[in-house]
This record gives sequence, C-alpha cells and structure tokens, in this order.
Amino acid sequence: MNTKGDKSKLLIVPALVVVGVVTQIPFILTIIFSFISWNVKRPDLGIHFAGISNYKKILTDGQFYQVVFNSLAIVVVTLTICTVLGILFGLMLNRSFKGVNLLRTLFVIPYFVMEAVVGIIWKTLMLNPSLGLNYYISSALGIDPIDFFGKYALLTIMILIIWQWTPFFFLIIMAGLQNMPSEIIESAKIDGATGWKLLTSIQLPLIKDHINVAMTLGLINILKVFGLIYVTTSGGPGSSSSNLPYYSYKALFYDWNVGTAAAIAVVTVVLTLIVVQRFYGFMNKTNTKNS
Amino acid sequence: MSRRLKNNMLTTIAYVVVLLWLFPMLYMFLSSFKFESQVAVPSLTFTPTLENYRAVVTPEFFKHLNNSVLVTAGTVAVSAILGVLGAYALVYSSLKKANNIYFWFITTIFLPAVAVITPVYIVLAKLHLLDTKLALILLNTGAGIPLMIWMCTTYFKEIPGEIVEAAKIDGCSKAGTFFKIMLPLIKNGIISSALLVFIVTWNEFFFAVTATATQSATLPVYMSKFMTQQGYFWGKMSAAGTMVVIIPILIGFFTYKSLVRGLTAGSVKG
Repeated sequence: MNTKGDKSKLLIVPALVVVGVVTQIPFILTIIFSFISWNVKRPDLGIHFAGISNYKKILTDGQFYQVVFNSLAIVVVTLTICTVLGILFGLMLNRSFKGVNLLRTLFVIPYFVMEAVVGIIWKTLMLNPSLGLNYYISSALGIDPIDFFGKYALLTIMILIIWQWTPFFFLIIMAGLQNMPSEIIESAKIDGATGWKLLTSIQLPLIKDHINVAMTLGLINILKVFGLIYVTTSGGPGSSSSNLPYYSYKALFYDWNVGTAAAIAVVTVVLTLIVVQRFYGFMNKTNTKNS
Repeated sequence: MSRRLKNNMLTTIAYVVVLLWLFPMLYMFLSSFKFESQVAVPSLTFTPTLENYRAVVTPEFFKHLNNSVLVTAGTVAVSAILGVLGAYALVYSSLKKANNIYFWFITTIFLPAVAVITPVYIVLAKLHLLDTKLALILLNTGAGIPLMIWMCTTYFKEIPGEIVEAAKIDGCSKAGTFFKIMLPLIKNGIISSALLVFIVTWNEFFFAVTATATQSATLPVYMSKFMTQQGYFWGKMSAAGTMVVIIPILIGFFTYKSLVRGLTAGSVKG
C-alpha cells in the first residue's frame, strides 16, 4: 500500500489548510496581539508594542481572579455532579421495565437543546422571580421568590450546566453498562456481591473507560460554556458569574481592547491546558488504582 | 420488602425523576400553545391556541431560519467531505507522522473559541466578510473537520484489512476501493458523525453572535434577542424556542446510539 508515488496522502491537505487557517494561525496571532497595545475604538492611540503590560494589567485585576475561580469552580462542581448523576441515571435506566426505551430517549433531550434556549427557559419560565414557576411555587409556600440569577448567579449557572450535560454523561455511561457482559454480574451476585459492593468493585471499574470519555468530552465543553452565561446573567452581577470565555469576549466586544482580550485568551488556553493535564493525571491515578 | 415491590418502586422513581428533569422542556412546549395572559401560571389545563406560532413566523424568523439552514448545510457538507478524505489519508496513505497529525486535529478540539476570535474578527472586518454566511461556514468548519476526522479515523481503522487487500488483488484501484468498498462499509458511521456536526453547528452560539450582525445571524442569535427585546412575551418566546430545538432533538433521537458508538469507539477497549 505504501508506494512512493502515493498521491492519496495529499487528501489530508484541504482539511489541514482549513483547520490551520481557522484555528492555528489565529491562535498564533492571538499570542502576538497579547503583546501589543491596540484599542479599536481609539485609532488616535495607534498600535504599538506593549511588552508584558497587558498581562500585568489582567494579572493585577481582582476581577480576573474571580473569573478564574468561577471557571475552575464551574468545572469541578459540574463535572463531579454530572458524573455521579450520569452513573445514577445509567443504573436507574439500565433495568428492563415497560417504557424504559422511551425514558432513555426522552432523557437525552436537554443535551440536544441549544444553550441560548436553555438559558431562556430557565431565566424566564422556570426561575423568574415575578412570574412563572418560581413565583408560583413561592407564593404557594408563602415565601418570597428566590432571585436565582441575581443573588446566586454562579450557582444557578452551574445548575443549568448540570441540567444540560447530565444527559450526555448518562448517554455514554449507559452504553458502558449495556456493554457489560451479564455473566460477570451474575457470577458476582452468586459470589455474594450486592448493592454498593457490586457497584464499586465490579460495575464501575468495568465502565471506567466510558466514564473517562464522558468526563473528557464534558470537561472540554463545560470549559467553553458561553451562550448560557450570555443570555442569562451576562456574567453578572459584577463578574460574579463570568467565566474565562465570557470575560475575554467582554474585553474585546465591550472595551474593544485587542491586547487585553488577546492576553486573557492566551491565559485561558494555558489554564485549559493545565486543567486538562491535571484531569488526565487524576484519571490515570484512579485508573491504575482500580485495575 | 419483596423483590417485586422494590422493582415497581424503582420503576416509578425512574418515571418521576426523568419527567421532572424534562419539566422545563415540557413547560416551554405547553406555554407555546397558551395565550400570553395564561403563560405566567404553570397550569396544565388551558385552551390551546396557535396564536403564538402565527405571531412568530415573521420574515425576521424566516431570515434567521434560512441563515441557519444554509450555514449548517454548508458546514456539514464541507466538514464531511474534507474530514472523510483526511481520515482516509491518515489511515491508508503513506503519510509520515500520521499519528502526530491526527493528534494535532484532536488538540484543536480543546482550543476554546476565544483563543482565535480576536484576530479572526479583525481579519474578517478587513476582508469585509463580517456578517456573511461564508465566514460563519468557514469558522464552523474549523470545528467540524476535527470532529469528523476524530470519529471517521476510527471507522476507517475498523475496516478489516483482508477486505481491502482482496479488493487490491482483484485489480480494484485505490479510488475504486474507497468508493465501492470502504464508503458503503462505514456509511452509517459517516452519517452519524455528520449529524453530530449538524447538531453542533445548528446550536453554535459564540461565532454566530460575534461574527454576524443583522444579515447572517442564525437562530441561536435570534433566540438570544428574545431576552433583551421582548423579555415578557413568553408565549411567543416559547413558540420560537420549540421550533428551533425540534430539529436537533429529532436528529438526536434517531442517531444517539450510533453517536455514542462513534464517541467511545476510539478510546474504549473491548
């Protein structure tokens, strides 16, 4: 197959060019931009080399640390809860009863709904304090409606992410549970393993690859969450519910500050890399412990 | 507690929990058929009306729908063709460092969109490509191709080597083997990967909201405007929301099983 005049390897070129033009080259430019001073709305100031002043500016800004904290908190909390809930739903719907297929199919729905609509439903119908479900339940209980997006903005964003992403975790984990040879479960039961013991020493180790895939893909996507925040809290109040993507977006499209926006973007990528690397370290450690 | 009773209880819990989880969707769906004056109360009994749908299907809605359809179709077509060809080259050509190139595509999936938007926005502005469907297709393709390559590389690798060898011995050309042997074998995999790209692109928000303004804005942008301009027309908002989520949900229903297979195949042993 591997002959010298093999032209088929050129088939990779179009894909490389498009992905390179859209991701690689702009990212390199972003790194360069992070060292210049350029405000699009103030052409009179000109464009000039700024050294590390953009980085200094963001790293000495208290808001930035809050945003970093928010991003990390969102990832750690939602990833943990989505995984646990994904396993619970997987076990719950991995039994056979009438209508189980319908329930599985229905449960997947939130994963396919666009972030903009998820945000809108929750901001208005579900949690709006003056109309809708939140108001209705509060007045039935005789309490003041909770102002979810005002007082508990970050927590509420997390709830929305968990609502949308648990079905995805379920989807992948469910596949793992269904792949499991039933003889293994049967023989473990004969050996006296039940309930918690069966789950932790037989079932979970057998689906660890699936849990791994669900968590990796979940991590990538939860780090990128943007639309949800955009339509519900706009990162506020203040920057209490802002994550790194939203913060960087604001630096560019509110302040029109190219250098600062680029520097935040570079820091975002670096932090993403660190989180992903830590995550893999963590997963490898748990995997070797279990096997 | 008897085993039977316990089973019945678990089944009931499953029904209750799943339906509660879906309540927000159900709530939106029902609200879309309510008169604006009834929407505020989450009741299940009401006189259904199509008033909201009639009010929402304006030229404005169709413009966004049209943009969404064209951008998604363009992105899926380009991503699928370039992705399948690329995956083929990675698996079957004499490409050096095929593994490194494959890995490079995967790393671009990790790259957040904010990492590229600053220069992309400036270059698009300079080329007068802001607010065009072409720009949006290009940006979405940058995310769609790695997804296609990731999933399709696995499918190509799963094709038994003997079949490819046999085709070669029978005098089948490389192109012939690709079109007549390989494509039919992995057709379903390619379709489900392409449908994933469809769903991701249809729902894509970041590029849609940054690189478009009025002419080429897609449905997610249209929906986000409900929050700012007509925040209190919940009935119409629900009608619009129901219409824009129905297509990805239906696609999801029919493909989620093969989708899971494609997402897990590369990294799950056995």
